Amino acid sequence: MSVVRAAARRGVIDALPLFVPAIPFGLVIGLAITNTGMNPFVGWSGSWLIFGGAAQLTLITLLGGGVAVAAAVGTALVVNARHLMYSAALAPTFQRQPRWFRWFGPYLLVDQLFALATIRLEDEPDSFRTYYLAAGALFWILWSVVVAVGLLLGPVVPEEWNLEFAIPILFIGLLVLGIEHWPELVAALVGAGVTYLAAGLPSRTGLLVGAFVGMIAGFVAERIRRE
Amino acid sequence: MSDFLATAVVGLGTYLFRAVFIVVLARRRIPDVVLVALKYVAPAVLGALIVALLTDSEGNVEIGVPEVAAFVAGGFIAHRTRSHVWTLVVGMAVYWVTLALI
Repeated sequence: MSVVRAAARRGVIDALPLFVPAIPFGLVIGLAITNTGMNPFVGWSGSWLIFGGAAQLTLITLLGGGVAVAAAVGTALVVNARHLMYSAALAPTFQRQPRWFRWFGPYLLVDQLFALATIRLEDEPDSFRTYYLAAGALFWILWSVVVAVGLLLGPVVPEEWNLEFAIPILFIGLLVLGIEHWPELVAALVGAGVTYLAAGLPSRTGLLVGAFVGMIAGFVAERIRRE
Repeated sequence: MSDFLATAVVGLGTYLFRAVFIVVLARRRIPDVVLVALKYVAPAVLGALIVALLTDSEGNVEIGVPEVAAFVAGGFIAHRTRSHVWTLVVGMAVYWVTLALI
């Protein structure tokens, strides 16, 4: 029992510092919900329905910006497609887990939890499960709270501050942190460039076109890099 | 209501992405071609999103000196500090200062 308790404590201790960078992100999402005039509860519900900040922010800003619902949903899903990789990477470890955890565990699988789980793959199944649940529960609770705080701050912040510009700044940060080699930069630049050229397409679908062409460009660039 | 439905659909889809290999396809491997393509989804979407955020409802992209200055500063700080907090602080500060100067 004490081993399990130690794993729980370890999970919480490891998760706390990883949550810090998510705080401004959560606050900006709260502000974005206010700015777009979306029903606050509906906007906040994404914190636990989606439980993934980048997709939640994408969905809120696109729905608020008059993008067709299908395009907004499609883009938010594309943003979260990376979770397929996490699922594949953790699948062998999860085979040693009880069925309820194989079904419930993936719900909590945010980027930070994936990063923590990958260094615990060799743990005993009980310890791994406790560690994962403790860290995941902490992220889940704190995330809902931070977004709610952002919602409360939203109406208080003066409009002249142009705080909505914090959203593209955050995306720039996410983008830069994800670039390891030049093909990723190619994907980003082509994605941005094609979206710019396709800005006049109906229902703002230029975004999806740009993202798709950018992905292809990154793929091709990777081939060139390997040769 | 449609906003809530859209959120629920994204939530369900996200869960499926996270669960599919763990729950049903544990012995399947993702083909290498798909793995390589997935790596480029995030940067391509983020690049596209940033432009989309600066596009108004008529399809005009509104980007001027303050935006470009803030992006350059924010990108540089993100690269140097690996910190979202600093990226946000410096990016917004540069944006406000250039906006006030112009």
